[in-house]
Amino acid sequence: MFNETVLKEIKQISGKYPTTRAALLPALYVAQREFGHLGADAYEAVSDVLGVPKAIARGVGTFYAMYKHKPMGRHIVQLCTNVSCMILGAEKLSDFLKNKYGLEPGGITPDGRFSLVIMECIGACGTAPAMLVNDDFYENLTEKYIEEILEKYK
Amino acid sequence: MITININGKEIKLEKSVTVLEAAKAAGIKIPTLCWHEQLGQYGGCRLCLVEIEKIPKLQTACTLMVTEGMVIRTETEQTAEARRGMLEFLLINHPLDCPICDKAGECELQDLVEKYGAISGRFREKKRKIPESFADPLIVRNMERCVMCTRCVRMCEGVQGASAIGVIDRGGHSHIEPFSGGRYDCEYCGNCISVCPVGAIMSRMHKHSYRPWQVTGKTETICPYCGVGCTLVLQVRDNTIKRVIPRIGSPVNNGLLCSRGRFGYEFVGSKERLTTPLIRKNGVLEEATWEEAISLVANKLSDIKAKSGSDAIAGIASPRCTNEDNYVFQKFMRTTIGTNNIDSTARMGFAGAQAFMENIFGQGATANIISGLANSDTVLVVGGDPTTANPIFGLQVRACSRKGGNILTVGQMKGLEYFNPVKADPFLYTEEVLLEGIVTALIGKKGLPGANLTLEAKIKDINTSLDDVEKKCGVPAKELARFVDILAASATPALLIGKEIVQSSGASYKLLLLSAINYLANGRIYLLSERSNEQGLLDMGCAPDLLPGYRPVASAEFRKRYETLWDTKLNEKTGLTIFEMMDAASRGSLKALYVMGENPAFNLPNSSAAATALRNLEFLVVQDIFLTETAKLADVVLPALSWAEKDGTFTNMERRIQRVRKAVNRGGMEDWRIISDISKNMGVKLNYADTEKVFHEIAAVSPLHRNLTYEDIEDGHAIYPYKGEPLRDVMEEILTSKGKAARSTGKLYLRIERPLFHSGTLSTKAPALVKIYSRAVARISAETAASLSLDEGDIVRITTKAGAIELPVSIDKAADSSTVMLTNNFEGQGAYSLMEYTIDPVTKTPVLEGVEAKIVKMTGT
Ligand code: SF4
Ligand code: SF4
Ligand code: SF4
Ligand code: FES
Ligand code: FES
Repeated sequence: MFNETVLKEIKQISGKYPTTRAALLPALYVAQREFGHLGADAYEAVSDVLGVPKAIARGVGTFYAMYKHKPMGRHIVQLCTNVSCMILGAEKLSDFLKNKYGLEPGGITPDGRFSLVIMECIGACGTAPAMLVNDDFYENLTEKYIEEILEKYK
Repeated sequence: MITININGKEIKLEKSVTVLEAAKAAGIKIPTLCWHEQLGQYGGCRLCLVEIEKIPKLQTACTLMVTEGMVIRTETEQTAEARRGMLEFLLINHPLDCPICDKAGECELQDLVEKYGAISGRFREKKRKIPESFADPLIVRNMERCVMCTRCVRMCEGVQGASAIGVIDRGGHSHIEPFSGGRYDCEYCGNCISVCPVGAIMSRMHKHSYRPWQVTGKTETICPYCGVGCTLVLQVRDNTIKRVIPRIGSPVNNGLLCSRGRFGYEFVGSKERLTTPLIRKNGVLEEATWEEAISLVANKLSDIKAKSGSDAIAGIASPRCTNEDNYVFQKFMRTTIGTNNIDSTARMGFAGAQAFMENIFGQGATANIISGLANSDTVLVVGGDPTTANPIFGLQVRACSRKGGNILTVGQMKGLEYFNPVKADPFLYTEEVLLEGIVTALIGKKGLPGANLTLEAKIKDINTSLDDVEKKCGVPAKELARFVDILAASATPALLIGKEIVQSSGASYKLLLLSAINYLANGRIYLLSERSNEQGLLDMGCAPDLLPGYRPVASAEFRKRYETLWDTKLNEKTGLTIFEMMDAASRGSLKALYVMGENPAFNLPNSSAAATALRNLEFLVVQDIFLTETAKLADVVLPALSWAEKDGTFTNMERRIQRVRKAVNRGGMEDWRIISDISKNMGVKLNYADTEKVFHEIAAVSPLHRNLTYEDIEDGHAIYPYKGEPLRDVMEEILTSKGKAARSTGKLYLRIERPLFHSGTLSTKAPALVKIYSRAVARISAETAASLSLDEGDIVRITTKAGAIELPVSIDKAADSSTVMLTNNFEGQGAYSLMEYTIDPVTKTPVLEGVEAKIVKMTGT
């Protein structure tokens, strides 16, 4: 269940839409923020607030690839391995993440600090290899640089 | 008028319909897969593609509306190729396991591929592999076979209203799943199974046990469970029921079923069924022959009648038996025995409520058509959740909401939660004040119409303000004002009344208030009925004060009429109600009791006291299909035929008489035949060649059923007032008696849970239903659980003045913290064993309110 503030937030969102079903997508984002990902608890909580059957909430949520469908680390590393980045050694960087942090593509570090998502071109080919950590953008990556960057995310 | 041309045929249409419908009307079949007549169009499968002149691309016939001059071709090279292409796509992932698929023979995909191809596929990729899911006890899911027509989802959401399943994931990964991904935990109506065109979701009950073409018999009959009276088609092989399905187009349920109707039939073949008569010898029930048993019953009853008089004998009729059984039974009691001591468990609420309402609004006031409910602009629900008591009727309430109607609820109605109810949820046992408030506000808004002065005299002085209601019931005045506004503004409101309000203290006064609401809002009344022939048994005269067709025993004129018809002398004394019978039995003034298809030792409140009373009888005869709690106390037990093994009629809650038809053979006799044998042995002939002859007599003697024949009721459209005439309305004085609010804070009160998956104890003999709802639990609120440090499944002892039982707890976060809910379905664990009761002086119903309960956690179990 959500706390009072979150309940209010979702109610407010819902007020902007003609039906409660229409508010599902933004409400699911809030639930994702609160629960870390969209699992049974998150869907049930959204279903309770909006009065939309939980199977329907889940059907809608699972349709979209941009929601997190399984537990994620506190910080999400999105590493590009598309052509330009690959040529400039992105795959080696991926190996580095695995060996140094135990972070495999699609996986999560044992301490729950990072998740790794492999991306297709993120539009930084000129400064490849590149990655995102949460919403922050990094380019011209090297192993050492990655180490430095990740230090900032506890 | 629109003129179109399909396949060279000129067709004229009144109004624009889809191409599919137009073709259908012209007798032209267009293949479909995602379209379904109960679900309408979806436009997903694209098998219905047709050529339309002047439109370059093929169009889906199920979604396109016809326009003037349209020229349509449904079977051309191009359409055949397109369909072949679509089927090839579907077969990319669909396994070719028809030989082991239970759907083979009634699979729409198989039929389509057989007709249109494709002969082979061009895709080299591996088919997707998804293991068949057996996580659910009743529904198997094989997602490799799914063709994503979404019929099941549209059924579950748009018709059933359970919204328990959805399309999960996207694209090639899409599949259908219940929320949990495993067990369904849904309403288990099985209506999704009915509409799935392929073998993707199927019932486990008939997995690998037969093929559709091996079914040897199909019998259309009526559901044995509740008063809705749904049509069932029993499919039989080797003299056993293999499957129960609905029929689209049948009255009342029109292609839909609930869990009980669909999955609850296996009791018929149960090994626990009684097979021979039993006679108590030296304290134990021993097998006996029919001759022995029948002559013993006849002799004993004759002796007791001679020694103690006719009124020392009583009979309990059965709301699960046919009209014919019940008619013959009451005639036996009235003529052969010579007493009016005949009653039934309809006395638990239905009979009293109906009589009360009919006195005010006239006979037949509660006979309203089920399918009409969805068209009401407002439905007010009081005293019980229709979606569990009468599931298919409950769907009408949901449909009403979907069509934009208002749903008003008094008390918690879980099954209506998602249907935008406007709620008035008063504190426990304060409904009386709430209803007074509604009446006061309605009079204020609409005034007294002046049509029924007797009723108006009773209600004109009621004066409970919305603020009073807020204070006493905890329902905010503003919310109740909205509730009343909606009601007052409705043109076609309906009022649904469940048993709980009829079994509360001051029931008659509350019924008066409900009548007032109905009168002021100009509504129509529906009484929920939990048994398949509760209405019919009353029509047949299984009541201590009424002869068949509701002619009062007290009237000499009517008695005379029946005396002539039956060629007998009738007892003029009104008989005992079922509760009075129990009292008389414990006092010793009642000597013998004949129970047909009922279980008073379990189904009456304070059931252990009822059992003690039954033990005190000199002679107890029980006629049933199982050795029930009551049968175990009997001196003679007579095995009866179940509903699937006999012919007859049931009358449902809207008073529609429908045919019950024999589907399987079993040695033995119908209830009425056993009784007629006993009567013969007592020297009074009650002979009928067959069930239909019994019905002829009913039609001859009951003024309500005048001249009605089996032929007339064949199509299911014989509705009240049948063919005869109701009793002229002579309104008697409206008697009421007010209740006393019995709740004090901090106490727990026992209430009855009426689960969707069970009905009496009968459903507990149906293994499929037991799999979904397998044991009795004590349902408590999260608050109560916390205060007693109880976790889900902990064993507790529930104690009341009447007794104690131990049960696991189930925690329900939405439950009222002042109650503990118990079912009355599982042997040895019935809520009624803990409920002492008083009788409402007017409605003669038991008051099951204010039963204080204590819960203690059991340790070491
Ligand atoms: S059985 Fe009924 S409630 Fe359950 S998923 Fe199927 S349609 Fe929905
Ligand atoms: S399970 Fe059956 S009804 Fe549901 S989408 Fe698949 S094929 Fe259609
Ligand atoms: S609604 Fe009642 S009559 Fe209909 S199938 Fe269910 S139990 Fe049987
Ligand atoms: S390929 Fe990596 S950013 Fe374009
Ligand atoms: S039936 Fe028309 S698209 Fe499926």
